[in-house]
Amino acid sequence: MQRLQGKRAIITGAGSGIGRASALRFAQEGAQVLVTGRTAAKVEETAELVRAAGGSAIAMAADAAVEEDVEAMISRCIAELGGLEVFFANAATWVGNVSLFEQTVAQWQEVLRVNLIGAFLATRYAGRHMRAQGSGSIIFTSSVASLRANAGDAAYSASKAAVNSLAQVAANELSGSGVRVNAILPGLIETEGTKALFDAAKARGAASRLGQVNPLKRPGQPGEIAAMAAFLASEDASYVNGQAIAVDGGVSSTHPFGRLS
Amino acid sequence: MANNKRGLAGSVAVVTGAARGIGRAIAERLAGEGARVACVDISPARLEASVAQMRADGLDVHAYVLDVARRSEVHEVFQRIEADLGGPLATLVNNAVWARYQSIEEIDEETLEQMLAVGLKGIIWATQAATAQMKRRGAGTVINLSSAAAVMGLRESVAYCAVKAAVTGLTRAAALDLGPHGIRVNAIAPGMIATPASLGKFDQPTLQARERNVPIGRFGEAREIAAVVAFLASADSSYINGALLMADGGLTIAGT
Repeated sequence: MQRLQGKRAIITGAGSGIGRASALRFAQEGAQVLVTGRTAAKVEETAELVRAAGGSAIAMAADAAVEEDVEAMISRCIAELGGLEVFFANAATWVGNVSLFEQTVAQWQEVLRVNLIGAFLATRYAGRHMRAQGSGSIIFTSSVASLRANAGDAAYSASKAAVNSLAQVAANELSGSGVRVNAILPGLIETEGTKALFDAAKARGAASRLGQVNPLKRPGQPGEIAAMAAFLASEDASYVNGQAIAVDGGVSSTHPFGRLS
Repeated sequence: MANNKRGLAGSVAVVTGAARGIGRAIAERLAGEGARVACVDISPARLEASVAQMRADGLDVHAYVLDVARRSEVHEVFQRIEADLGGPLATLVNNAVWARYQSIEEIDEETLEQMLAVGLKGIIWATQAATAQMKRRGAGTVINLSSAAAVMGLRESVAYCAVKAAVTGLTRAAALDLGPHGIRVNAIAPGMIATPASLGKFDQPTLQARERNVPIGRFGEAREIAAVVAFLASADSSYINGALLMADGGLTIAGT
């Protein structure tokens, strides 16, 4: 499938998990990718994996929430790959399993910086370029934690709710430009980021209970989010705009407290 | 864009209301990805003409005249489709609808009953008939056509808004019932799509005003809804369940 043939895509947070799976998927569908993350070795490894699979990738160590870094990744994508059609703002951080009452302002500032300001900078700079060329797709990784409590810590959940709002406002401000902006809301996905949770469940002998609250009764895999990102990046999603789309096995469509009977 | 990697090749699909508009575009897209498509419609004349054209284009499509509001006939035709197309159903697209647009003061009993019969009961009967086949297959996807009207009020469209909101409710509940069997159930909410039926409802100034209200700046095309259906029918959406996907150019996120 070559839906992304001729497209150039930047993916942030591409050193592992959803970002890495998306780099592989985008490249498999014909896109050239610029993969970025804060850890050079990890994004290099992602780029190597893309190349080993026959794709085209550039790795760049960068902080997706630092203005100069975002400008630099866009300039480099245009200079070295010849353009920019897709920006997947996927980089994220969180405080962890810490109560709201124990979280600090510094922790909140870091979470909002990476998750929200990163998405803002992606929109501001990639959106300007795409608006001028009259087309493009901007994709954010949000979370089902943006919809309801108990799927992430307080700072993380609030930051992701703000990302959903940004997708709406940005789509509206880019009205008529041909640029689409959407957010993906993953549910429980097995990644490096959730490894601690999976390991803890396994240690308790409770691995089989992971993901049981969603109607598909299993956790998701990074490739299942990458498939949604590839769809949103492609012309198949040409009339999908301003949306927050859950990829969560159905957990957000239910009140997950068991069968009513 | 034909491709054989998304798991649709050779699989059996049913599209209801497939003779024209969005339903026809969906049948063309699924068949274009290699599915064997049973095209269901209530109008023999429209259905035969559409299916003949699609077959002339080389698509593996088959005509079944059916009123989806009739439960026993739906079950009978779905069994016939399995026998004819050589396998249990993998994909069901509930697209058929019968719509009239009336205000709360105007709406009459006959109109309301017919809208509920096709737009609500029809989905339940078709999904019921498909479930037995999908359970035997161990997997399946049901895709229901809702509408932006499910989440926003439209003037003089009481029954339409109600029916399309009902579709989202039944989608979530069916996803819970069928998820454990590997059957995913999702809904799509198109915004204003430029089909002859939808464009014919409004005069030119109204159409222009409506188009300006869509953040993407234009009405959608039937093939753009078909592309979302193909995604929900494919393994690419394997973790999406019970969802309502808006395909409306951003219509419902704007405050105008």
